[in-house]
Amino acid sequence: MIDRQEIMRIARLARLELTEEEIEQHRRDLNQFLASCAKLQEVEVGDTTVGYTIPAATQTLREDELTPSLPQAEVLAGGPCVEGGFFRVPRIVEEGE
Amino acid sequence: MRKTAALLEKRQISSEELVKQYLTRIEEADPQINAFITCSGEEALAQARDADRRRARGEALSPWDGIPIAVKDNISTMGLRTTCASKFLAEYVPVFDAAVVENVRKAGLPILGKTNLDEFAMGSSSEYSAFGVTKNPHDLERVAGGSSGGSAAAVAAGEAPWALGTDTGGSIRQPAAFCGVVGLKPTYGRVSRYGVVALAPSLDQVGPLATCVEDAAILFSLLAGPDRRDAISSQSRPFSLPEWDLDSVRGLRVGVPKEFFGSGLNPEVEQAVNACLGELERLGAQLQSISLYTNEYAIETYLTIVTAEASSCLARFDGVRYGRRVEAADSNTMFAKSRAAGFGPEVKRRIMLGTYVLSAKQYKLFYEQAQRVRALIQQDVAQALKQVDLIVTPTTPNTAFKIGEKRNPLEMYLSDLYTALANLSGIPALSLPCGRDSRGLPIGIQFMGRHFEEELLFQAAYAVEQTQRRGEDA
Repeated sequence: MIDRQEIMRIARLARLELTEEEIEQHRRDLNQFLASCAKLQEVEVGDTTVGYTIPAATQTLREDELTPSLPQAEVLAGGPCVEGGFFRVPRIVEEGE
Repeated sequence: MRKTAALLEKRQISSEELVKQYLTRIEEADPQINAFITCSGEEALAQARDADRRRARGEALSPWDGIPIAVKDNISTMGLRTTCASKFLAEYVPVFDAAVVENVRKAGLPILGKTNLDEFAMGSSSEYSAFGVTKNPHDLERVAGGSSGGSAAAVAAGEAPWALGTDTGGSIRQPAAFCGVVGLKPTYGRVSRYGVVALAPSLDQVGPLATCVEDAAILFSLLAGPDRRDAISSQSRPFSLPEWDLDSVRGLRVGVPKEFFGSGLNPEVEQAVNACLGELERLGAQLQSISLYTNEYAIETYLTIVTAEASSCLARFDGVRYGRRVEAADSNTMFAKSRAAGFGPEVKRRIMLGTYVLSAKQYKLFYEQAQRVRALIQQDVAQALKQVDLIVTPTTPNTAFKIGEKRNPLEMYLSDLYTALANLSGIPALSLPCGRDSRGLPIGIQFMGRHFEEELLFQAAYAVEQTQRRGEDA
């Protein structure tokens, strides 16, 4: 069974802040989901290889060619916080590190 | 669509008049149905007038130049808001067109607007939209299906002649079945996903929704083709419209998998599908009972893979490059708060499930095992398609359910019981309307075929459609 602490660990990995109510909800949902997926564990897979095989016709190689990229100003215009041609984010490196 | 194209060609109707008709219909019907998140009426009219000028000069871009279209709102449209039905992207305006949007613009199709969906295409009812539920035009108390519910409802309600949708586990075919329209999930790799907001890249495809088989095929012919900007885009086999000949089904081997006709299937749906199978037999197809034993694991395999891929794909929504941001002193808190404020409950649920099945301790047990089962499913489907040319099943176990009826997420996930198999194995699959239940709700029949054999699906579906029409006329 997955407990509250495990839910909080997953939420940290997923960069998702949860309310108390959501923690409880996700605990219930995740346990229910894992119970329903239990039957996959029972499938005899033998030596089946992992790896999705896409239709052969889609596997192609091509030359690496230079093409123009999107205009910087337009792309930046969609950002919630932009300064001097950059996306601005909170400090990520602590002083003294 | 051929008739409309002929009227445009003879100048008996203008594209501007045509677009105005649809915009009037949207104005009338959409306050009830809520198929559209954004209606781009002014732009569509301007595009229609351009189309009329091209026709006048004899420079039409295609036979369909000036016939408008609706586009699902997880497909990028340059200069036109693309929300994915999420609060996170409520104001997001793309700076480029998706490949499929480029294609329809190249053919001259004016864009009427962007249609509703479950947030980031996660759902089977369009109830998980941040912009309100889309209602089924056949019964306003019921869902239109999902996630392409807006596209299916718009076509069914006459608000658009055809529409683009996306399908990861059934998201074109299930709403098509619920709304009584035709929907195709193409072969994996046949249509470029460039510019489509990814849900699960090993499953996602873009496809057409239309009122009849021929229109779906016409729209598909505009979409299919190679595109270097989608790494899995196929370089081979351009699609050209098939011969529309009822004789084309003569001698076809049609597989009917017994696993799709077991308990849980609504008897009225079963009866309608069996009646269509009877029609195929009368037209000369050979029906064969087959087995697709792995379908028993399809939903759980699908859920494990779709949540894993979705949790990775949605990592890009971090409050930095687009969408919402909730400010905080450090970056990790800013990410976590922005995502908490921007995503709805179903998206959070899938991110949590996906993060769990991909986490270091659980990866082997869940994600890797699901990948192995997926390989078995692919083998099973490939084996079946050696014995038969086509597989025919119901599209959904039931007709459209009531809004608010499915409160348990697992119950909702079961809506994809008959459709997820085609995404897991990459084969093409088409849903065709096949009668109605006693409440008058549409029923869908599904045709699945070998990779890149969409032509056969269209031909078989066309044959059934024509015999149905004759039945109605008689």
